[in-house]
Amino acid sequence: MSLSLFIFFCVAVLFLTLLVWLLRDPGEDALTERGLDSPEEFGQRHATYFPQVRRAMAREDFTFLALRGSAALTRRVRRERQKIAVVYLTCLRDDFAKLWRLARVIARMSPRVGIAQEFTRLRLGLTFYLRYELIRVKFVVGIAPAPDLSSLSDMVSKLAIRLETAMSELGERAALSADLASTLHRRGVDAP
Amino acid sequence: MAALASSVKWVWALSVLLQLALFALLFFKGSFRRLPILTTYIALNLCQAAYLLYLYSGAGSNLRSLAWGSEAVTLIFQALAATEAIRLALKPYPGIWGLGWRAIGFIAAMLLTYIAKHTAGNYSWALLELDRGYHLLFATAIISCFVLIRYYAIRVPVAYKLLLGGFCFYSCIVILTNTVLQSLLYGNFAAYEPIWQFASILAFALVQLVWTAALRRPLPVDDRLRALASDDIYQQVSPIIDSRLRLLNEKLLRIWKTEARSQ
Repeated sequence: MSLSLFIFFCVAVLFLTLLVWLLRDPGEDALTERGLDSPEEFGQRHATYFPQVRRAMAREDFTFLALRGSAALTRRVRRERQKIAVVYLTCLRDDFAKLWRLARVIARMSPRVGIAQEFTRLRLGLTFYLRYELIRVKFVVGIAPAPDLSSLSDMVSKLAIRLETAMSELGERAALSADLASTLHRRGVDAP
Repeated sequence: MAALASSVKWVWALSVLLQLALFALLFFKGSFRRLPILTTYIALNLCQAAYLLYLYSGAGSNLRSLAWGSEAVTLIFQALAATEAIRLALKPYPGIWGLGWRAIGFIAAMLLTYIAKHTAGNYSWALLELDRGYHLLFATAIISCFVLIRYYAIRVPVAYKLLLGGFCFYSCIVILTNTVLQSLLYGNFAAYEPIWQFASILAFALVQLVWTAALRRPLPVDDRLRALASDDIYQQVSPIIDSRLRLLNEKLLRIWKTEARSQ
């Protein structure tokens, strides 16, 4: 089998596998149109818990424990708090994922979509996930600096607020257009 | 008709029966109004079956070129029918539909260049190469649309999904059979042709069966939310999101670098 025939074979097998995956029900991954009128989905932002996490990561606690307690206790507390940091980072990623999905809803509901903008966002999202995974692995073995985490949280929060405003506006307009469509439908007029 | 192996004749008959059932379903359930090109495509396939039956019965001298000629017509309608299904699936979202068209156009241009280069100078297999090239292009376009549908979490009625999935499945099977048989039975047309016919007709019959199941009920009323008339929000929010995501990535990179330095 020549190289090109081998490529054709692999592409066909890959397409068949992809087809099965793509035809599958997206389940929980799906962002249904409910998302437009359910702001509570975006209400719980883990980024808001950063002060507590920062407090848990404070150096002073460990210094205090090292002075007053045993080395074993300090290690145990540090390990437990590392776990908290990892969980927090995971929650931050979830916040990011929700916002990213929200951005896709905005694109979906728009009559015109910019290919460059969408591609840039896809690339940025993928880069974020790649970096997040690398940092998460680092977190498991050590602790990332708290100030950087703080700005990361701030950024997710600000983005969430801006997007929520846009989404409520979008929701109002969608409701308005649905009302209009149903009125036209009742009158027997075909909406474009 | 003697030119066809008996196994091929049986599977062909089955395929024709299924096409007839599907054609009847399209009419009786009223789906032909929403899927006129698909209905024409099925009708053309039935006409092609009758034409091929006539050709094989008469055993004409240029049987091969006449058979492939009729195939070209149905392939054009296949592409149009798939476009019709994609258009219906993405109808409420003109922005995504436009994005899909541009993406498919770009991929198609690249693939066409590759196919033209691959087919040039390979005259003994030119027809098969072209057939495979077409199906590769077709399957890529449908997969790209499915990826877009998944990425933007667009809810698509199952009937349209199965129609598009059937088209894609058939194209993938044609690519596989053409490739595997070309590599295994190179230079042995006599042994190759019945196997190729059997595999492709069987795959097509399977697709007809799935389509018949998908269209056994009338097509659902499209109750999905439609895109808004204005793209103000997208134009305002998209750049903000992009810049925020970019900053977020930079922050993450900074954490990564700090971590790397501290070790």
